[in-house]
Amino acid sequence: MVSTFKYFIAFIVGVSLHLHQLEASQIYIGAQSVDITPELPVAVTGQFHLRIATEAETPLTANILVLESRENNRMEELAVMVSCDVLYIPIDLIADLRKSVKQRIPGLDVNKIFLNATHTHTAPVLAEEGEYWIPKEGVTQVKDYRLFFVEKVTEGIVSAWNSRTEGSVAWGLSYAVAGYNRRIAYSDGTSGMSSKTNLREFVNLEGSEDHDINTLFFWNKEGKLISMVIGVASPSQEVEGRHAVNADFWHPVRMGIQEKFGKEVCILGWVAAAGDLTPHLRYRKAADDRMRELRNLSRIEELARRIIIAVEEAYETVKTEKQVTPIFKHHIEKVPLPERWVTERDFLDADAFVSDAKKQIANDPKASERLYRRMKWQESTVERYKKQKDNPNPVYGMELHVIRLGDIAICTNEFELFSDFGIRMIARSKALQTFVVQLTGSPGWGSYLPTVKAVQGGAYSAVIHSTLIGPEGGQKLVDRTVEVINGLWPE
Amino acid sequence: MAFYFKLTSSIFLLAFLLFPVLASNDPSFDETLKVGWALADITPDRPVLIAGQFHARLSEGVLDPVSATVLAMESGVGNQTKKVVWISCDLVGISDGTRGGANIRDRIREQVIRLEPSLSPGQIIINATHTHAAPLVSSVDKIEEVYGVSLEKIASGGDAMPPAEYIDFAADRIAKATKEAWNSRKKGGVSFGLAHAVVSMNRLQALHTGKSVMYGNTNNPDFSHIEGHEDHSLNLMYFWDENRKLTGLIINVAAPSQVSEHSYQLSGDFWHDTKEELKKRYGMDIHILGQASAAGDLSPHVMIGGKAEERMQRLLGFEEDGTGRGSLGQRKQIALRISDAVTSIYPVMKDNINWNPEFAHRVAELQLSRRLLSIEDVTEAKKEAEEWQKRYQDMLDDLEKNPEKIKEARWYRDITISHSRLRRGLVVKERYELEKTEPKLPIEVHVLRIGEAVFATNPFELYLDYGMQMKARSPATQTFIVQLTGSGSYLPTKRSIAGGAYGAVPASTLIGPEGGRELVDQTLSLIESLW
Repeated sequence: MVSTFKYFIAFIVGVSLHLHQLEASQIYIGAQSVDITPELPVAVTGQFHLRIATEAETPLTANILVLESRENNRMEELAVMVSCDVLYIPIDLIADLRKSVKQRIPGLDVNKIFLNATHTHTAPVLAEEGEYWIPKEGVTQVKDYRLFFVEKVTEGIVSAWNSRTEGSVAWGLSYAVAGYNRRIAYSDGTSGMSSKTNLREFVNLEGSEDHDINTLFFWNKEGKLISMVIGVASPSQEVEGRHAVNADFWHPVRMGIQEKFGKEVCILGWVAAAGDLTPHLRYRKAADDRMRELRNLSRIEELARRIIIAVEEAYETVKTEKQVTPIFKHHIEKVPLPERWVTERDFLDADAFVSDAKKQIANDPKASERLYRRMKWQESTVERYKKQKDNPNPVYGMELHVIRLGDIAICTNEFELFSDFGIRMIARSKALQTFVVQLTGSPGWGSYLPTVKAVQGGAYSAVIHSTLIGPEGGQKLVDRTVEVINGLWPE
Repeated sequence: MAFYFKLTSSIFLLAFLLFPVLASNDPSFDETLKVGWALADITPDRPVLIAGQFHARLSEGVLDPVSATVLAMESGVGNQTKKVVWISCDLVGISDGTRGGANIRDRIREQVIRLEPSLSPGQIIINATHTHAAPLVSSVDKIEEVYGVSLEKIASGGDAMPPAEYIDFAADRIAKATKEAWNSRKKGGVSFGLAHAVVSMNRLQALHTGKSVMYGNTNNPDFSHIEGHEDHSLNLMYFWDENRKLTGLIINVAAPSQVSEHSYQLSGDFWHDTKEELKKRYGMDIHILGQASAAGDLSPHVMIGGKAEERMQRLLGFEEDGTGRGSLGQRKQIALRISDAVTSIYPVMKDNINWNPEFAHRVAELQLSRRLLSIEDVTEAKKEAEEWQKRYQDMLDDLEKNPEKIKEARWYRDITISHSRLRRGLVVKERYELEKTEPKLPIEVHVLRIGEAVFATNPFELYLDYGMQMKARSPATQTFIVQLTGSGSYLPTKRSIAGGAYGAVPASTLIGPEGGRELVDQTLSLIESLW
């Protein structure tokens, strides 16, 4: 009986604490944009072959937003969000950044920082080793760019932190067609990635598309718009093949919005679940291209035009709904995800490819430019298979951030997450709007997270080398993310 | 009456056989285009049965008018002109004799030709916007045979217009409007463009079990993904007079207009609101011709994120109209999106008017393989039919014992559902037998080239994948797929049949994936013949 009573008291206290944590407090906002354009020439990443950029067609930026809630001058909750014009965010780079920020702001809980990549394919290599065979001289070295990146982003966070003031926030939903499904399903049951649709064998696009534009708008206490978040289910890879540095469509998006809303507005680009999406047109291309040409726009300008219209529409609709004391909660945990099983067949194929590539490179070192990355990609499968021998149930611990801000939820994942998983999260979330943010940390090779149907269809983004986590892990990610989100809506 | 419709159908079929190609596909470069428009109000002045649900609905007034928009086009000079009249109707489908005896399509053509003998049946294309709040035109049988109770009982003894009478009423009004449009045609120009608007969503949810459901709950751990695709493109064609003033628009959207699908009041659904919004922007005399692109698996109902959508409707100022699923607020939001898309490319369209477009039209009768059903399909459907038969009989018996029930409002809802489900089960056996003796279903398809754009029609609720296949392989710069130029039945994909949701089951379909591929291939052949 005593024991039951103790549990009862503990339950009441727990509930009270929980509800207290969800009480609304004044929100403080700081924002800063920093230039992370590399010194040229530099190796850019995103294709199998090595590309050395000798020109920066646009600047690259990291855009930082600090949110803090305070009660009686005491910090209640914190989130530091950094959107970066890069392909991916290596896990070890996040650790370096957190360490650097901790040195500058000892009182800041650096675990509350998360970074996301816009997935531009024309930004510098960030993986410390093993991605390309980069010349040791004459180009910016990866380790040097990493130091530069950490230094600049740290400066930005410090600046945003120091500039935070009382402010307000509003959220909106609108639409823009900026991402297209790139997996083409054929009548024989196979799928192709970015392959042809003008064939009799073309049956359907394998997965969904998500044309939601999720937006957050932030004002300072004077009512001046200082920052916005734009969530788009499309990676920024329209100019992905160039031998240049380019922030892709996010550059004209930022330019266009700053022209309308002010040069100081700091714009964070978030990519929603878009592992199977692309900004490239996959069918009815002639009609789309004709309209763009009639407008005399480049393809990235056209994408920007659509996104900007959607942002403006949402802004005009929600600008009167500013919240100064939204419920604000930031939850972080490591989610254990079962790794995708590497079969013996996978291993044998990969091992054979790696052996052959090594021979080719040994015979002709120049071959490394086209083979090295492909070889490392498959080598990771060989290593995974060997590890499975010791640990038949490999699990990857993914850092998950879930934020409740008023009526909306933000949830992160480290993958190129196929859109179906994001749609499952949104469908089951208790939040009014759910912002899914992908590519918030890359453990290495295999960042795609494909669906069952994609695995069955095959093709690049669903094969074993590209996928550390498979559909089973994807569902676990969905289930846990939804559980955490909905736990923040006790009412 | 049934004999009459069969006779007229036969006459028109003979016309196709004699004149398989009714317009030249050899475009000259002196294609002076003349354009005329008119609008027919086809709102009945008496209660009618409303089509679109299993249960009967007797109309209880008019929310907004149901109408037909007529676009008359003539290209060329002298006696060798090419003529096409396109009529878009606020109806759920255009009965054409393939599903029972009703045939509003041929009735309209007959009435038009009576008034304007220079036109021939194959030059008249009629599509439905698929509003579920318009009069029933799919049957001329006794209502007791359709719904299991008489129209007199449904109307509780009141005066209601039977469907056969309504078909004549609508055909007469549409024919007069067509005559008006034809007589008013003047030299005009045309421009076409692509824009985007989120109007519809895929309504089929695939579950982890491999099965699919229509309008299921996506807030469910069993939900895996949306079964098919979505199409948020808007294909637009602008028509201009000699003074470069906009006279009308074709708006082709991959969405059936069924926001108000449960209404007991007649309505043109979101097309009404869209027309109103565009009139505000471009003048009261502008004409809007709505077409539904391939959208058999799409609907305007929001399947994910409905709360966020509803909030945006409220913030847009539609709270008084109601917000959320089925609301006028949602219709107005759709109207804004379509109108904004129209407006977004208007300047570019005005700068790119083609006064002399290539103009070519072909109509053909395609023979499509009927869906091959199995004896198991028949057995399952028969079992369902028997269950519904029992429910229907129980309700009928109850009605006989309690005749005063017909005084209650909408008393007929449940009994008419039972009877519709009963009939639905029985047609599977009919289709199974028919496939043995008539394995091909003849359907009418039109392809119309205007400049570098092409329109391609089909009579189905065509699943989007087929429309995408056509667009992906079409030689045209823009391909306008126009569904429901006939009586309409679902034409599902292979994956949808595997999922087994409503639109893919045997009772919902005349044609299966095999026929779907034939439709795609043969339509593309027709399109290619115009290039």
